[in-house]
Amino acid sequence: MTSPARASISAFPRGHEFPETTFTLTSEVVSAYLRATGDGNAYGAAVPPLCAVALALNALQEQIALPEGSLHTGQEVEHNSPVPVGEPLRLTGRIAQRSERQGFVISVIEFEVSTASGLAVRARTTIMAPGAAA
Amino acid sequence: MSIDVQPVIRTLTQDQLNAYADASGDHNPIHVDPLFAAATPFGGTIAHGMLVLALIGEMMYAAHGQAWLASGRLKVRFKAPTRPGDTVTASAEPSREAGGTCEYAVQCANQHGEVLIDGRATVAP
Repeated sequence: MTSPARASISAFPRGHEFPETTFTLTSEVVSAYLRATGDGNAYGAAVPPLCAVALALNALQEQIALPEGSLHTGQEVEHNSPVPVGEPLRLTGRIAQRSERQGFVISVIEFEVSTASGLAVRARTTIMAPGAAA
Repeated sequence: MSIDVQPVIRTLTQDQLNAYADASGDHNPIHVDPLFAAATPFGGTIAHGMLVLALIGEMMYAAHGQAWLASGRLKVRFKAPTRPGDTVTASAEPSREAGGTCEYAVQCANQHGEVLIDGRATVAP
């Protein structure tokens, strides 16, 4: 997952704002997600919220490198309105918290997925990554 | 009154991890490369945390439908890795109800009873 074009998550200070980006979750993307997870629920025209969170995280990782040994240790999700299939979604994110412990950097990435109507999903992802000296 | 939430039980396979990597774009070798993963402290591949968490999302949506999409809140910790072949049970126990909001203690556990994910979910039905 590392790339020389991206900085390690450990390098981002608290308060760092990632450039806003947009993405769209098509019916094909949602179908692939539901097949992979085995979720047989019918969501209609909505995207399963954790699908939106997972794909938003993936979009953010185009800007962040996760060094080998990184762990996803916590996740918070707030659903505010259904995420529509096939509509452009706006993604904003920042480093909400950063701390160091025993050679690891613990970062909390807070991000929002919004539609033209407003906020749909807010999430906070906690990543524990080896520090430079680890 | 809290709505009864039915558990979701699923055995995760390496094929499922591979499919989730393709669907989510997360191809971290710890999830999809058995040779790489064998040389890590985990000793083998582990499931994406978000794949295991998806069982809780599935469970809560099945119980609450649109209310989950419009008002659901989830806060969890990933406590232990899930390995291919593990049978995961996602479950929810009502813990509190106030102001029309239902709160549940949620968790995913494996076939040995080891807790993989735990936390809280709330929804305003």
